[in-house]
Amino acid sequence: MSDETKTCSTDSGTEPTAARLHLPMWILVALLTLLYLGGIYFDHHSGWFDKQVYSPYSNAAMLESYQPKSGAAAALAAGRKSYEAVCGTCHGNDGLGKPGQAPQLAGSEWVNTKGHNRLAHIPLAGVSGPMQVAGKDWNMSMAAMGAALSDADLANVLTYIRGSWGNKAGEVTADDIKGIRSGMGGRPQMMTHDMLMAMPE
Amino acid sequence: MTVNEKQIDTSCRVPLLVLFGGAALWLVVGSVLALVASLTFHMPDKFGDCPWGTYGHLQPAADDALLYGFCIPAGLGVLLWIFARIGQTPLRGAMVPVVAAHLWHLGVLAGLVGIFVGDSTGFAWLEFPRGGSALLFFAYLLLGLWALMNFSGRNERGMFPSHWFLIAALFVFPWIYSTANILLVGWPVRGVVQAIIAWWFGNNLVFLWTSLVGIGAAFYFLPKFSGRPLHSYYYALFAFWTLLLFGSMRGVPVGAPVPAWLPALSAMNSLFLIVPVIAIAIIGWKTVRGGAGRECKGGSFCMIKFSFVAFILSALLLVTSACPHFSRLTQFTWFGAAQTQLQLYGFFAITMFGAIYHILPRAVGIEFAFPKLIRVQHWFAMAGIILFVVSLVIGGVVQGLKLQDPNVAFADSTKAMLPFLRASTMGLLFMLVANLLFTLNVIALIFAWKWSVAKTVFAFLISPLAKTEVKA
Amino acid sequence: MKNGFVIFLAAFAVLASSWGAFVLAPQLQLGGAKQVTVLNSTDVYPASRPGEAAQGLQIYRANGCAACHTEQVQQDGVACDVVLSSAGKNPSVVSNLISTLKLEGITEEAAQAAADQITAAGGKVETHILATGPDIARGWGLRHSVAEDFLYDYPVQLGGLRIGPDLADVGRRLPDANWQLLHLYAPKSVVKGSLMPPFRYLFETKKIGSTPSPDALNLPKEFAPAAGYEVVPKPEAKHLAAYLLSLHADVPLYDAPFTQLSASTNAPANKP
Repeated sequence: MSDETKTCSTDSGTEPTAARLHLPMWILVALLTLLYLGGIYFDHHSGWFDKQVYSPYSNAAMLESYQPKSGAAAALAAGRKSYEAVCGTCHGNDGLGKPGQAPQLAGSEWVNTKGHNRLAHIPLAGVSGPMQVAGKDWNMSMAAMGAALSDADLANVLTYIRGSWGNKAGEVTADDIKGIRSGMGGRPQMMTHDMLMAMPE
Repeated sequence: MTVNEKQIDTSCRVPLLVLFGGAALWLVVGSVLALVASLTFHMPDKFGDCPWGTYGHLQPAADDALLYGFCIPAGLGVLLWIFARIGQTPLRGAMVPVVAAHLWHLGVLAGLVGIFVGDSTGFAWLEFPRGGSALLFFAYLLLGLWALMNFSGRNERGMFPSHWFLIAALFVFPWIYSTANILLVGWPVRGVVQAIIAWWFGNNLVFLWTSLVGIGAAFYFLPKFSGRPLHSYYYALFAFWTLLLFGSMRGVPVGAPVPAWLPALSAMNSLFLIVPVIAIAIIGWKTVRGGAGRECKGGSFCMIKFSFVAFILSALLLVTSACPHFSRLTQFTWFGAAQTQLQLYGFFAITMFGAIYHILPRAVGIEFAFPKLIRVQHWFAMAGIILFVVSLVIGGVVQGLKLQDPNVAFADSTKAMLPFLRASTMGLLFMLVANLLFTLNVIALIFAWKWSVAKTVFAFLISPLAKTEVKA
Repeated sequence: MKNGFVIFLAAFAVLASSWGAFVLAPQLQLGGAKQVTVLNSTDVYPASRPGEAAQGLQIYRANGCAACHTEQVQQDGVACDVVLSSAGKNPSVVSNLISTLKLEGITEEAAQAAADQITAAGGKVETHILATGPDIARGWGLRHSVAEDFLYDYPVQLGGLRIGPDLADVGRRLPDANWQLLHLYAPKSVVKGSLMPPFRYLFETKKIGSTPSPDALNLPKEFAPAAGYEVVPKPEAKHLAAYLLSLHADVPLYDAPFTQLSASTNAPANKP
């Protein structure tokens, strides 16, 4: 075995000890200042735990403001979304209707009108009784499927219907729907063919 | 040296030999792999014919060999010895850490083979496939529990600041390693949550664990070598809590495809890290300054002083790379790789070199065979890590400036890196030389010990024979 | 702190909060994510990768491609362009007005104000939302990467170092499978001065049989094998190429909005 007096054993004194000097105040102040600045940084960059907010967006409001919303494309796209959710089940996502369920909207004379007063009344109040659509006779009833939609949503749906599948009628605005809805009163009566024909186009 | 201290040192002998011996071998393996990997940049066409020769296999294997092969077992060995010394209690049941150390090294071997045959999990710092990582986990658990049992049975009841750091580190690894393996490999979570957990794991292992163990060791050796008390208990307490709190709550990079609060929280805590770093720097400076001034000629003291400075620099690089605009510039560049290497090698590995050079001759009772090489080794290690880090930090900023300018073609950002990568390859070469010299001394010591054991056994075997001869 | 148990408890508390913030909270927030609707459409995103591409992800993982490539497009900011869609009844008034306004690369507020002015003058405008930043300018993507892009991937390979370019949207940028295969076999054959190591072991060089293989690579001369031989991709190479082609992160989402322009202006620049 090696000689105990070699270098390896000369330096091992007692085990180290720790002095008991207190922490200077400035380091605590520095920590608190930093915590404050860090809080500001977090406030500006974190989006406050919103799972939709990614850098470079700093908060949910900023993200919302950059959603595409202007332009006809946005209205059509939003309308399509609502249409497929609410109307497509019966009228078909292709607008061709379904036998025994609902008439077609593509090429329908009720859709391709100059004004949109009659058309808007159908989803807002519902319709029943005999009527003719695109050369076919129907005698069914539809509930007021659109009454629960907001003005903007219904406007988008009607714009979509009037601009799709070969239909080429003009757009409908939320203000139009608002006007029609207020003109109908609180609990509108279900429409019939004759009632629709009696009102302006 | 009192008899008691000699007892303490020799009680750790066999576990330390297994931990440090295996670690030394993995250190060389890791640096050879890292060197070969970096050659890819200088002659890419030569590496296309076998799968295991590509950068994507070599680099993770090199990283893991350094971290799991060297850093962790070396750190655990130093921890066992420091616990025994401060607690003034010989290590009991030395067979348990010996078994655990063997399991650990086997796990590293299995993991590295796994990477080369294409079984890598694909998550940074967690590449080892199941078999390897299960071995590592149980080996660590065994060793950690044993260290804690020895700690609770200590004779000297007082606690030294190093205790806090080391105990916290013992506790961190099983927690993060089991979480990461269960949620990323065993029953994987969906989508980017995988990446978030992998970042969290990587930071807590590569930054937090190594900082806790390395600083714990430095707080033991710096006062010991300088002959002064640690300055001071309350500073250390403050540094410990702030390091643990801020150091564990970070890891998600700035532009990660995750909700903004995760990178924001990470960056905020990274910036807060400046506080424990300042506290630790003051502790080191005031402890060493004006000390008895043990000669520092490339010995353990010198290494630990250097590695301590390396920790401060590494942590400062980490803080800098979290600064609002600079973080955008340096992300995806070599800057991060330089910081990681400074943390793992410049700080942690060199702390371990210093500690092992101090501990091993005492534990075994045999001097190193080539004491002059210790100084040479230190110079090579320092030159290597400085060359590597300086070239890649500057290179990383250059690369970042080019990546941030869309008018610069991407290929130019890569080409601009080549001179820096050449310098970093030289750095890796120096580190390889240093690692070889270290391993030479450690392995020579192990063989000297085995030889002395063999002689003793041989003497024991022939001694009755000699007696009978005398009688006859 | 004389007691090890106190350290243990406190360290437990700190680690538990770290675990809660970086493991539990993200899992609760994103772990149950479902497909989302693409902006201005009823399409859902993402679709899971088809079989070959899913196998290709495993090749990508096994070969450590993420050591050099990232899959995360960075976005530094967002800007609006106001584009006139119809000049209306007074084209001269509108065009005079437009010449006084800044309409490109402006904030949403400024865009709204400009749009209101032009609409009041009788014109019709559309506002385009554009992601900005060097990655976007390089054509690496149309918007920043989001969690949805990786919903069905295992393992998620985001990478962290750009030794090579970002691949988050490479399927849109370089949509040609043959190009990808050539690039894997001999990167320099399609990208001059490329530093990517070749992945020849994903291919087989074999004697041309009675008929040349339909899969054989059409290599330029200096990279071609000896006469009478052909280079055929192994299934691994095909899977990897399929995975690369499946990397499309190019639809607008609520959390990453932008205006999809017509195909001609968005045409993929065929550069790496």
